[in-house]
Amino acid sequence: MAEVFGLYKQRASFIHGLHPLTKLAVSGFFLLAGLSLPGMWSTYLLVIFGLLPLAFLSRLLLELVSRTGRIVLPFMISVFLIQGILWSGGTPLIEVGPISFKQEGVQFAIASSGRILIVVGSFLWFALTTRPDQLMLALAERGLPSSLSYLIVSSIQIVPRFQARANTILDAQRSRGLEIAGSIFQRARAVLPLVAPLILSSLIDVEERALAIEVRGFNYPGPKTSYREIAQAAWEPMLQRFLLLAMAGTLILSIVLRLVS
Amino acid sequence: MISLQGVTYSYPGTSSPALRDLSLEIPRGQFCAVIGPNGAGKTTLAYILAGFIPHFYHGSLQGEVNVEGKNAATMPQRELLRLVGLILQNPFNQISGTKVTVQDEIAFGLENLGIPREEMVARVAAAMELVGVSELAERSPLGLSGGQMQRVAIASVLVMQPAILVLDEPTSQLDPVGSREVFQAVREMASSGQMTVIMIEHKVEWVAAFADRAIALVDGALLADGEPRHVLAIDTVWRAGVGQTRYTLAARRLQELGKWQDGKRLPVTLDEATLTFKAFQKRR
Ligand SMILES: Nc1ncnc2c1ncn2[C@@H]1O[C@H](COP(=O)(O)OP(=O)(O)O)[C@@H](O)[C@H]1O
Ligand SMILES: [Mg+2]
Repeated sequence: MAEVFGLYKQRASFIHGLHPLTKLAVSGFFLLAGLSLPGMWSTYLLVIFGLLPLAFLSRLLLELVSRTGRIVLPFMISVFLIQGILWSGGTPLIEVGPISFKQEGVQFAIASSGRILIVVGSFLWFALTTRPDQLMLALAERGLPSSLSYLIVSSIQIVPRFQARANTILDAQRSRGLEIAGSIFQRARAVLPLVAPLILSSLIDVEERALAIEVRGFNYPGPKTSYREIAQAAWEPMLQRFLLLAMAGTLILSIVLRLVS
Repeated sequence: MISLQGVTYSYPGTSSPALRDLSLEIPRGQFCAVIGPNGAGKTTLAYILAGFIPHFYHGSLQGEVNVEGKNAATMPQRELLRLVGLILQNPFNQISGTKVTVQDEIAFGLENLGIPREEMVARVAAAMELVGVSELAERSPLGLSGGQMQRVAIASVLVMQPAILVLDEPTSQLDPVGSREVFQAVREMASSGQMTVIMIEHKVEWVAAFADRAIALVDGALLADGEPRHVLAIDTVWRAGVGQTRYTLAARRLQELGKWQDGKRLPVTLDEATLTFKAFQKRR
């Protein structure tokens, strides 16, 4: 059972105690820098010298590596194979019979794998270390409408439930003899009977959920209060502002670099 | 005080009404159970009391619904929700989905109402105590068992202190001990005169033991209304597919065997059964 709340993992680390917006700014910075900086290896530098040390300090290094790996590795492998082999023209690196690996294809694969790595990694690091309710509170304090923050936060935590339900339906279909392994075409056919019940049951849930939060005053007019206070160290707002500046700086830098080259 | 006058309701796009010409009065402080087979319209009745019909579900609503002397259909939802608390049939969907611990989950409604923090802390603790989930305070609401989740759902509505509490099959996931505790807690709240309780329930044995009144619905219409031990002994209620207590079932078995005195009332509770079966034994 996903005992966890969404992806959040409680650990006794100072990172867990940071303000949600501080962590949001950090992962936002990684995301932006990873996507905009030129060069094949820049994202890997960010991962090695930024993300991994932070994951270590959060006491979630293995967790982050294994979760990110499970998502990113299949993509990386296929990108290497497909781009390496199918790159038209280009300089062959290795040749095995009629098949050859092109240098340009491999370079492209390294760069795009790095991007995926930093995007998935920094999102997961954020989700693993940030309590969703505190994120919601922090967003509300910044003036985000509560319905919007509810949407964001409840969907972060609903993803694992969606997965669990998909697996249940998948198991049921499989036991009725539906083939889920096999060629891409076979799999696509298998997914169809999965989608309908998944969407239908989720829609019914959405309706009941809407009623349930309604009875609990979600749309009650007037200011809300909060059961918890979120702590924020004195230096955190400074760091947040600095990171925002850094994001803007990175963006400008990457544009300039691109124009120059 | 709740009153329904000739209420008929059809969901949008349906032709046959889910409730038919229903008239009822439920006085303040009463513990009223609603029984009936699946599809009888019990949940629909709950939705009407909570104002979801007509505020959320449109369809066609006739008749009048009054809650604490005010028309529920024209009362703004925000006013109605302070009066009526509804615990939904599926506790899983009652969980807000944004809270990490049980106590935060229970506080959700109070946050929305803008209750000051110190008061919230006290009320959340009291509600957890009342339904026996204090030990779960720091657990994730999504990692609970069905029964635990059901209690948390109850606490999360109770904490808002509505004048009227509507519970839709609140013990469906609970074992006998848990069900008894819920019935007891509900009984106490009604007896203290603070709350009117309408509880949709299949566990008729507990209904007979704890509720002041039972309303039997079949096909959207009122079939019987009165003290649970009277309602549960009625033949047509049984034939409609409403569960029976084991004492009534035993008596019905004797009836089938031709060993029951014609016209004699069937026992519903343990006390009645003891008396009736004693007399039965003497006569033989
Ligand atoms: N959202 C809906 N739309 C259309 N029909 C509905 C809806 N909800 C319930 N019904 C129908 O209304 C009738 C009463 O349902 P309900 O009040 O849920 O019964 P109960 O709670 O007693 O099992 C049933 O025939 C059901 O199919
Ligand atoms: Mg129902």
